[in-house]
Amino acid sequence: MFRYIIRRLIQMIPLLIGISILVFLLVHLSPGDPIRMLLGEEATGEDVARLNAVYGFDQPLPTQYFRWATRAIKGDLGVSIRQTIPVNTLIFERLGATLELAIVSVLIAISLGIPIGIFAATRRGSLWDYLSMIVSLIGVSMPGFWLGLMLLSYVALKVDWLPMFGRDASVLNGLWVLVTQFRADVLLNALRYVLLPATALGVSMMAIIARLTRSSLLEVLGKDYIRTAQAKGLKHRVVVIKHGLRNALLPVITIVGIQFGSMLGGAVVTETVFAWPGVGRLVVNAISQRDFPIVQGGVLMMAIIFTFVNLLVDISYALVNPRIRYD
Amino acid sequence: MLKKHSVLITVTFVLLLVLTAVAWASNDTLVIGSGAEAIGLDPRLETDVPSFERINVIMEPLVKFAVNMQLESALATEWDVSEDTMTLWFKLREDVAWHDGVPFTAQDVKYTYEWVLDPANGAPNMGLYADIEEIEVVNDHEIIFRLNQANAFLMNNIARMPITPKHEGDRADFRQKPIGTGPYKFVSWTRDDRMVLVANEDYWGGAPIIPNVVFRAIPEDSTRLLAFEAGEIDIYQGGVVPQEINRLEAAPNIVVKRTPGTGYNYLGFNTKVGALSDVRVRQAVSHLINREGIVERVLNGIGTPGIGPVSMSLPWFNPDVQRYDYSVEKARELLAEAGVAPGDINLRLYTNENPVRMRIAEILQFEAQQAGINVEVIIEEWGAYLARIQETDDFDIFILGWSGQLDPDRAMIRQFHTNGSNNYGKYSNERVDYLLDLGRTVPQESQESIDIYREAQEIVVREVPYGFINYTEEVGLHHPWIGNWEVHPYGAAAWQDAHLMTKNK
Repeated sequence: MFRYIIRRLIQMIPLLIGISILVFLLVHLSPGDPIRMLLGEEATGEDVARLNAVYGFDQPLPTQYFRWATRAIKGDLGVSIRQTIPVNTLIFERLGATLELAIVSVLIAISLGIPIGIFAATRRGSLWDYLSMIVSLIGVSMPGFWLGLMLLSYVALKVDWLPMFGRDASVLNGLWVLVTQFRADVLLNALRYVLLPATALGVSMMAIIARLTRSSLLEVLGKDYIRTAQAKGLKHRVVVIKHGLRNALLPVITIVGIQFGSMLGGAVVTETVFAWPGVGRLVVNAISQRDFPIVQGGVLMMAIIFTFVNLLVDISYALVNPRIRYD
Repeated sequence: MLKKHSVLITVTFVLLLVLTAVAWASNDTLVIGSGAEAIGLDPRLETDVPSFERINVIMEPLVKFAVNMQLESALATEWDVSEDTMTLWFKLREDVAWHDGVPFTAQDVKYTYEWVLDPANGAPNMGLYADIEEIEVVNDHEIIFRLNQANAFLMNNIARMPITPKHEGDRADFRQKPIGTGPYKFVSWTRDDRMVLVANEDYWGGAPIIPNVVFRAIPEDSTRLLAFEAGEIDIYQGGVVPQEINRLEAAPNIVVKRTPGTGYNYLGFNTKVGALSDVRVRQAVSHLINREGIVERVLNGIGTPGIGPVSMSLPWFNPDVQRYDYSVEKARELLAEAGVAPGDINLRLYTNENPVRMRIAEILQFEAQQAGINVEVIIEEWGAYLARIQETDDFDIFILGWSGQLDPDRAMIRQFHTNGSNNYGKYSNERVDYLLDLGRTVPQESQESIDIYREAQEIVVREVPYGFINYTEEVGLHHPWIGNWEVHPYGAAAWQDAHLMTKNK
């Protein structure tokens, strides 16, 4: 297992180099440049040339790439062109918010999706089965921004204690205060803010999980060993949970891993609708401003997190299913 | 078991209620919604409106634009522009201190402008002040700017540059934690979330009435409106959802304030390449812009039909220019005069992903079809779009807007002078060049100045380098518990008088 992890980590290196080159080329070769974005409609030719020289954009691309890449290896992602703040600072001050939103969404999705899937699978063909699957179909089909605006207009506007936008303390900080000082107020306040955006982000994932759990469980429940377990006289609930669900979870874990990764990048719409101060918003703003260092740094950071999540997913297979071993 | 649960639930709800009470904005804090986060807070480096919305509460220029767009005293109490517009003289306030207590002097003014004019500092707006040759400090409270060429309108640019402190301005994190002389002091900033300011009790204009100001960045227009309606923000200006304006104006507990803005939207024509190099074809297209329809249907009445480049509220505005009323018939006649048969013209119309511009493009496409012009609409991402217009002549028509057109020089010289830096359509007319150059050498209050710019407008509108679509309008929303605020035609100055505002919720 240890060797497997090391090998996977080493494999990440060429992948990340490839990603860095790709991102670099994409941002630098797409039309529009950061100086023109900075100066806007009022740009004059002289101003553009003057500032390009100040920022070093008049150098050849390979020179610019190596200058950036050698610093990035040392952990220095450069400085934002627009804000003159280190990219590391900009990313790390938002990373917590993005991870928090993604994790809470995943928790909501799992804690609702799996029970719905089980519920539907064990009542296959019944009205309840159809109803839950229709609900999940709607969940998958709703665009996140629309759901977000609906939640704001019909839930937050009516329920006073749900805020309309923004973020207060972090959930992690809330948990810390709860454990160390036995005070729940910080945690509750943090949850108040994260609840709606996490729901908007988590609903489609919940629906996917529900559908996948249902089909996967149905397949497993048709297996011989399930019949054996039932023949032994085990309770139906034990058979489903202990023998069925555990084996049915593998594809669900895969999907959770992939979805979690895409949530980190794809949360940008939710972050914009709810004015959530996350990395997605930072990177998308940076793209429209052609703030190259932020785009490059942000995408690289997401790529690293994504590959780590994938690694964790692969490791967790072995935990759920002991038949899977890594040499 | 059940009892234990209900106790827990009750406790939770009580806690939430307490929290809500805390979360509701109190009378001590003015919560302002903003369409975007500030990029930074150093006026020498910023170019965007959201940054200046905040900067103009913390710092002040020498002179500023009042709500009626007249220059009024800020850090300068008196000023004078010489007859040849080559020398500007300022008398500065003597009772002003920076937020850290250090007195404000003419050295700070000199420092700010010399910093901007030093090419090594990379100040994006250096070009606005490039005519300043030297700055002479007469004494601590008197300063003279000498120009290397006449520029009667430099004063308006000076009104856009808040003064930064010499003793603090080079601090590495000044851009994130500035000090100024303004009514509110910077306290803290959580980017993409909130910026907190506190009253400057020693403000020369009197201590602010509301003790705290919080700026909240809410990028999505619909969310900002919902947050406003829920009472989580007290006030905001700009980015009001046009489709909601009628409902908001009818609502009894929402105050809607509107004023003509400082900008306009237009169709830019390529006057050098392709069919539009013929002035009659450009005039024909201008007749195809259904201005009333666009203002009414697309902008929901926010704005007024466009006439020329100079805002109607400025004294230089010329009402007697040629008008291009919406008429397919006239367009057909002009095309026939130009010797173009129906169906013969294909035009590429570019726009960025701005929804309003996209709808205008579609409408124009339809109207042009009626007159036998085929318009192909191409939508590009903002960066790519700007690069196309600014760096190539690979387009026939583009849709763009200008904001902050505070005087006729700003509204015309960069756009219509042969050497104008933003003359993307390569328009050229000797008389217009002459007039625009001449205008800078004449004091802006004079009748001569007005005559010069009225003639320039007459020519420009007749020769149609632009098809003017509409003048912009600024819209502000606030709750009835907010008092003493007027919507400002220039969005960046919206909160400059925040110290006079009141809140009684």
